[in-house]
Amino acid sequence: MAAALGTDFIGRKGALFGLALRLSILTVVTLGFYRFWMKTRLRRWYWSAIRPGGHPLEYTGDPLEKLLGFLIAVVFLSFYIGVFNLILMFFSFSYLGDNFVAYAASFVIVIPFIFFAQYRARRYMLARTRWRGIRFGLEPGAWGYAWRAMVYWALTIVTLGALWPLMTFRLEKFRTDRTWFGSARLHQGGRWTALILPALPALLCLWGTLGLGLVAAVTEDPTPVLGLVLTLPLLGIAWVHYRLRALRYLTETKRLGEDVGLTLHPRLGRVLAITVFGHLLVGLFLGLLLGGVGIAVGILLGIGAAGGVDFEALPPWVFVVAGMVAYFGGFILWDVLRQVFVRMPLLAHYVATLEIDNAHALAPLAQRERDDFADAGGFAEALDVGAAL
Amino acid sequence: MIGPDAPVFVDYFDGRSAVPRRMELTIDGTRLLLIPAEGSTIVWPLDRMRRLPDQAGSDGLTLAPADGGPARLYIPDGAADLADALRAAIPARAAPPPIPNFRARLVGLSAAALTSVALILFVLVPLMADQLATLLPPEGEAALGDATLEQIRSALDESGRDGLDFCTAAPGRAALGRMTDRLAKHTEFPFPLKVHVLDHEMVNAFALPGGHVVLFRGLIDAANDPDEVAAVLAHEMGHVAGRDATRGALRSAGSIGILGLIFGDFAGGTVALFLANQLIEAQYSQATEERADAYGIALMQKAGLPPEALGRFFETLRQQEGARDERSLLDHLSSHPALLDRIEAAGRAARPAQVSPVLNSSDWQALRAICR
Repeated sequence: MAAALGTDFIGRKGALFGLALRLSILTVVTLGFYRFWMKTRLRRWYWSAIRPGGHPLEYTGDPLEKLLGFLIAVVFLSFYIGVFNLILMFFSFSYLGDNFVAYAASFVIVIPFIFFAQYRARRYMLARTRWRGIRFGLEPGAWGYAWRAMVYWALTIVTLGALWPLMTFRLEKFRTDRTWFGSARLHQGGRWTALILPALPALLCLWGTLGLGLVAAVTEDPTPVLGLVLTLPLLGIAWVHYRLRALRYLTETKRLGEDVGLTLHPRLGRVLAITVFGHLLVGLFLGLLLGGVGIAVGILLGIGAAGGVDFEALPPWVFVVAGMVAYFGGFILWDVLRQVFVRMPLLAHYVATLEIDNAHALAPLAQRERDDFADAGGFAEALDVGAAL
Repeated sequence: MIGPDAPVFVDYFDGRSAVPRRMELTIDGTRLLLIPAEGSTIVWPLDRMRRLPDQAGSDGLTLAPADGGPARLYIPDGAADLADALRAAIPARAAPPPIPNFRARLVGLSAAALTSVALILFVLVPLMADQLATLLPPEGEAALGDATLEQIRSALDESGRDGLDFCTAAPGRAALGRMTDRLAKHTEFPFPLKVHVLDHEMVNAFALPGGHVVLFRGLIDAANDPDEVAAVLAHEMGHVAGRDATRGALRSAGSIGILGLIFGDFAGGTVALFLANQLIEAQYSQATEERADAYGIALMQKAGLPPEALGRFFETLRQQEGARDERSLLDHLSSHPALLDRIEAAGRAARPAQVSPVLNSSDWQALRAICR
C-alpha cells in the first residue's frame, strides 16, 4: 500500500487577525452589507491554508452570487415568516393570552428551512471548493434532507437521545453518498451501531442531568439541582468526546471512488485545551485592549478637563458616536479574537490529523461540470445557519 | 528578464485530472514557460493570468488563467524571488463571473427583492395587523395586556425584586377613580378600563392591550394641576379606543422576524435591528399619536374639561427636556416628533361652555401622594 498523503495547515494567527479585523470593520461600517464579501474572503483564506498532500484547497465562491441568493431567499422568507408570525401571534393572543407560545411556534415554522438551508449551503460550499484544480460537488436533495433530519430529530427527542447515534450516522450517510470529488463519488460505509458506545458517556450525563431536574421538580426540593455543577461540565466533555469519535469513525469508513480512503484522528485533550485556553486568551486580550482604551480615554478626558474643556457642553451626538464605536468595537474584537485563538487552532488541529490513503487511486478521476445553482446558499445566509466554515 | 537563476519546479494541474505534473518554470519576457520532463512546453502569457486572492501562505502562490479556466499552477514555498517577481507582474483577482449579464441581472433582482420586502414590511404586515386586531377576542386581548404589564413591571424594576410597585394609597386611588369615571362615562370600550400608577420617576404614560392604562409617578409629579393628568389620561384612552397597542404588538411580531433576516447577525447587529424597528414604529406612532391627541381633546371637551391642558402639559415637558438625559430625549423624538405642533393643536381646541375642575384640591393632594 502506498504511503498516505498527510495534510498541512499553514495559516498564521497574525495574518488571520489582520484580515478578519479589516473585514469585520468593513462589515459593521456597511451595516452588514459587506458580510458576503467577508465570508467569501475568509473562506478563501482558510481553504488556502489547508493543504492535503501539499496542494492547497481553493474556494471559488463569489460574494455577488451570495448576495443574489440572499436576496432571493429574503423575499421568499419575508413573506413566509412575516405572515406566519403574525397569524401565530394572533392565535396565541386570542386563545392563550400570551406571546410565549407564538415565539416558540415561530421558531418551529422555520425548522424545515433550517435543514433545507444547511444542505443548500453545503452544496454551494462544495460546488465552490477545488483541490488540485478539481471541483467537489453535492447532488441536489435539500428537501429530502430536511424531512429526514426532522424525522431523526423527532426520534432522538422521543427516545431522550438514545437514537442520537442513528441520526448522526444516517444524516452523514445521506450527505456523504451524494458528495463527489471530480468524477468520483464518496461512499459512507460502516454501521450506526458502532456509534452507540462512543455516545454512551454523553447519554449517561444527559440522563443524569434530566434525572436531577426531575427529582427536584417532584420533591420540590432544589438540593439535587446542585448536582448540575458536576453533570453539566461532564456532559460538555462527553459531548465533545462523542463528536470526535463519531467524526473519526465516519471519516475512516468513507471511500472515495473505489479505493481512496481517509483517516482523521483529532484528540479530545487537545480540542478541550484549545477551547478552554483559547477562550481564556480571548478574554485576556479583550480585557487588555478594552482596559487600555479605557485608560487612554480617561487620560484624555483628564487632560481635556485640566485644559478647561467643558465636556457637558459637547453636543450629544459625540457621546452617541463614542458609545457606538465602543459597542461595535467590543463585538468585533470578541469575534476576531475568537476566530484567531479558538476557531483557527481547532481547524488546524483537525486538518493536521487528516490523511488520504491510497492517493494514487485518484489518477483516473476527471473534472466535473460547474454547478450553477441559483440561491448560492442564500437561505443559510438569511437564516444564519451557514455551515460554519 | 525576471526570475531566479536556478530552475524552479512547480506542480501544474490541467483542470481535467487530479494528477500533479511536475514542470520546470522559466520566465521568458512576458510569458511563463512550463517545461515538462517529457511532452510539449506549455506557454502562459503573464497578462492572461491571475493570482488567487486572500491566500494564507506567505511565499507560495497559486496562479490561474485570468478567464476563469480550471488549470492551476502551484509555486511552492521557498522560491521567494520568483514568487515576488510573479506577485509584481500578476494581479490578485477572483475569477470573472461565469454567468452572462451577471451584473445587470444582479441589479434587477436586487431592486425586485427590495421592493417586495418593502411591500411586505410596510403594506402587507401593517394591513394584516390592523385587520387581525379587530378580530382579536376581548378576553385574549385582556390576557395579553396582563402579561405585557407584568413584563414591563419587571423590566423597569432596577432593584431586582418582583417588579415595580403599583401605587395603591386608598385616597389617591379614590381620586384617580373619580378622574377616570369622569372621562370614561363618554367612552365605550369592549373591556373595563384599568388605570394603574407605577412607582417610577419616568415622566411617561402608556396604554396596553385590553384596556390597561399606566401612569408613572414621575408624570403626576411633573403635572402642574389635575387637568393636565386628566388630559394625558384622555390621550391614553384614545390609544385604548384605537387598539393601538394591540396593533403595534401584532405588527412587531410580523416585522421583527423580517428585519432579523435582513440584518443577519453581524457583530452587534441586534442594535441595527432594534433601531430599524424603532424607525418603522415611529412612522406609525406619529399618526397614532395624532389620532390619540384628537380623541383625547374631544373627550376632554365632552367631559367638560379644558382641552388645552394637554398642550400645557407638553409645554412643561418641553421645558424639562433640556435637563433630561440623552436617551429619553432620543426616545421622545422618535415617537413624538412634532411636540410644538401638538401643543398648538391642543391650544386651538375650543373650551367647552361649562368647565368644572376634575378634582378638588384635597383629591389632587391625595393623587399626588398615591405612591406614599
